[in-house]
Amino acid sequence: MNFSDENDLQASAGEYVLGGLSLDEREIFEVELQRNRALAAAVGQWQDRLLRLVPAAAAVEPPAALWQRIERNLPGSQAAVGRTDRRWWDNVRFWRAWGLAGALAVLVLTFLLVLPAPSGVAPARFIAVLETPGAGARWIVQADAVSVQLIPVAAVAPGAKQSLQFWTKQLGAAGPTSLGLVAANQRIVIPTSRLPGLSANQLFEVTLEPEHGSPLARPTGPVLALGRTVQL
Amino acid sequence: MNSLQPDFDYEAAIRRCALGERAALHALYEREARWLLGVAIRIVRRHELANEILHDAFLQIWQKASGFDAALGSGRGWIYSIVRYRALDVIRNGEREQPIDAALLDCLEDPGEGPLAQLSRNSDTQALHRCLHQLDDERRACILLAYVDGLSQRQIAEQIGSPLGTVKAWIRRSLITLKDCLS
Repeated sequence: MNFSDENDLQASAGEYVLGGLSLDEREIFEVELQRNRALAAAVGQWQDRLLRLVPAAAAVEPPAALWQRIERNLPGSQAAVGRTDRRWWDNVRFWRAWGLAGALAVLVLTFLLVLPAPSGVAPARFIAVLETPGAGARWIVQADAVSVQLIPVAAVAPGAKQSLQFWTKQLGAAGPTSLGLVAANQRIVIPTSRLPGLSANQLFEVTLEPEHGSPLARPTGPVLALGRTVQL
Repeated sequence: MNSLQPDFDYEAAIRRCALGERAALHALYEREARWLLGVAIRIVRRHELANEILHDAFLQIWQKASGFDAALGSGRGWIYSIVRYRALDVIRNGEREQPIDAALLDCLEDPGEGPLAQLSRNSDTQALHRCLHQLDDERRACILLAYVDGLSQRQIAEQIGSPLGTVKAWIRRSLITLKDCLS
């Protein structure tokens, strides 16, 4: 590539914006692009010229949930924090710590369950044990009018390109509602106001989804664990 | 339709993204997501994959916003390039399952149904349309296969049965012709 001749520079910038360069050519071009402002300007001009080739009839409505997923995954979002740092997946001490935390959570929960309900008008409380069929309990869901807690009781290890997504479906509802991506082996608290409702026999489940969650407004991956609420 | 939409200040929206204003990113999304998704689908040919590209591209827009330089080109062109490069990266990594013949058919066999016909209905792009028509059919097809369908020069050469060097020379000359015609 010759970047000193104006026509060559323009042709190379146009080829780059078209996107058809080989990997070798692209690497050479991008090195030059970092230091050559005339080339960067030529690229900007080609981007604007060729923009008019976007077919006018090509609009496709994105799925309704896509923006929520983008917003959730922006840096600084709560759900993005655990997912951007992948190193802890490989940390054995992390898993041990969370395993212990899970076991402690079960103890605390068990203790809470056997306590007599406070006198007076007790607000409705629900619990669901999310089980993997044939493999026992993985999470416990504890919910009241204020918050829903997803408490891990057994370690799960999704792959690097996978995520865990939490869902609920009320009895008779047309489909499940996503409650967002959840970090593995971590206690999650969600305001009950985000649920479509809360009642006995309500389904909660965790599914294994692609890295950024289900691309659709329903689960696409296998169900890791599920269970229905009972009122306490 | 897909006009240049001068009533929306893309550059200001990108600057607000650089300042961390999520509402600005949302405004860009509301404005452009459906067009950008159309561009991505045309390149990767799979809706779910195109959704992932749109998702990744908007995270990139957010992260790269502080590096955007309005002196080098429009904000809208910059955004489309991010989506196109992301889509091209995905298909260059061999993730496209759709045979490319389908893309070729759209452009070569029945130009009446291809993107060129759609261009001709859009007044904003009439100048480009006129300039494209100064090119031979085969050379015009090379430009559209590269830009609209995301084919590499090697793929274009294979599809039209010409040597890679010839296709590369055609594309470079066609680009200069287009630039001169549009200026």
